[in-house]
Amino acid sequence: MTFRVLDPTAGEAATTGQLAPRLDTLEGKTVGFISNGKEGTKGFFTHLEKMLREEYGVANVVSRTKSNYSAPADAHIVAEIGQWDAVITGLGD
Amino acid sequence: MQLSSKIYEADSISAVQELYHSNGWTDGLPIVPPTEDAVRACLDWAMMPPDQLIGIEPVRGLAITAEKLAINAVMAGCLPMHFPVVVTAWTAMMQDEFLMHGATASTGGCAVLVVLNGPIRLEIGATGTFNALGNSDRATAVIGRAIRLCLINLMDVRPGVIDRSTLGHPGKFSYCIAEDEEDSSWKSLSEQRGVERAASAVTVMAAGAPRQIMNEWTTRPEEILETFAAEMRANLRHYSIHPGNYAIVVPKQLREHLQAAGWSKTDVANFIHERARIHRREWAEVGKGAVVRDRGDSVYPAMQSPDQLLVIAAGGPAGGFGAVIPPWLGDKSHAVTLPIGACIDCEPPKKPS
Repeated sequence: MTFRVLDPTAGEAATTGQLAPRLDTLEGKTVGFISNGKEGTKGFFTHLEKMLREEYGVANVVSRTKSNYSAPADAHIVAEIGQWDAVITGLGD
Repeated sequence: MQLSSKIYEADSISAVQELYHSNGWTDGLPIVPPTEDAVRACLDWAMMPPDQLIGIEPVRGLAITAEKLAINAVMAGCLPMHFPVVVTAWTAMMQDEFLMHGATASTGGCAVLVVLNGPIRLEIGATGTFNALGNSDRATAVIGRAIRLCLINLMDVRPGVIDRSTLGHPGKFSYCIAEDEEDSSWKSLSEQRGVERAASAVTVMAAGAPRQIMNEWTTRPEEILETFAAEMRANLRHYSIHPGNYAIVVPKQLREHLQAAGWSKTDVANFIHERARIHRREWAEVGKGAVVRDRGDSVYPAMQSPDQLLVIAAGGPAGGFGAVIPPWLGDKSHAVTLPIGACIDCEPPKKPS
């Protein structure tokens, strides 16, 4: 007996955006950090800021923390991203 | 309307099982083969075309259609009459306040508790008595399992993929309970939450594992409820201090004492709201002194307000037991109650001739 059975998966969501152009250099740039706010992010982002400034010549680092670490970034944070040259997001579990 | 899902052919029932297991499409247990006939029967019962959009998953933008829910419901063992419950539960889970992505991806490892109210419980044979939080009956077993299979297959909520649970709990196989409305003088849970008693309804909650309590040595409401509140205080101390939706399940033996004394669900919730709270300094007693800081005198209630407590009448007739079901993590996810769609004078969708 042959069973004809159906695929239970939903497939991929449509892509809603595209990657920003890659930067040639971080020298003099503004980099934003979006943290999920968990304890482990503190040491990580502190070290990353030091590294970006000292080794890559990043001019400004803007740190933002989500109000809810389980939800997408708050709208006001997302709105700010356009003012940054690059953004790094990370979680601290 | 044609179903749009890809069709696979398998030569035997065991080949079907291996196909689904090897693709990561199961919860590890055998599935019912989702044939076109079985899936169509679910859709016909709910009077839904296959491409009916149940919702867009808010974080990753995944479109959830009736066809895909039906395939997973069949796999879980659902009969067509169970399908409207699955659809309503998923509709509830996709409300913003439920925070579905966070609740199902979190290391915290909660499950989706589904509570059934109204006439549909009797129609589908969902009992709310013996073994209410276990394998009480076919309907709650397969509906709860369908919720999990849908999460696995529609949102990639697989262990180590989107599901990052450290531990999880057994409710992640199936976590569905019917309220025992026939043997209770209380308002039903959905009625408490604004749905007409005559309507069937589903409540979903991002829920930890049940914590069982026992108090067979009193008939006084204050003493019975103190035991529930103490278990909630334990959860505030040992797990999370943040307030949110808790549920308590009150079986008949303890329920009758409360009801005989004239205590309504609102009275129960008000009492527990006053008693289920701790000082932050208590964290130092359980090894969490590092995060007490200068806030030791702050008081943390289990709920922001009494109406955050879901009081559920369910359980076998004997035994002075009860259960506290804690939230995933405070107020991050809110319980959602929705009536199951009722359509007066609706015509079934026309079939192509």
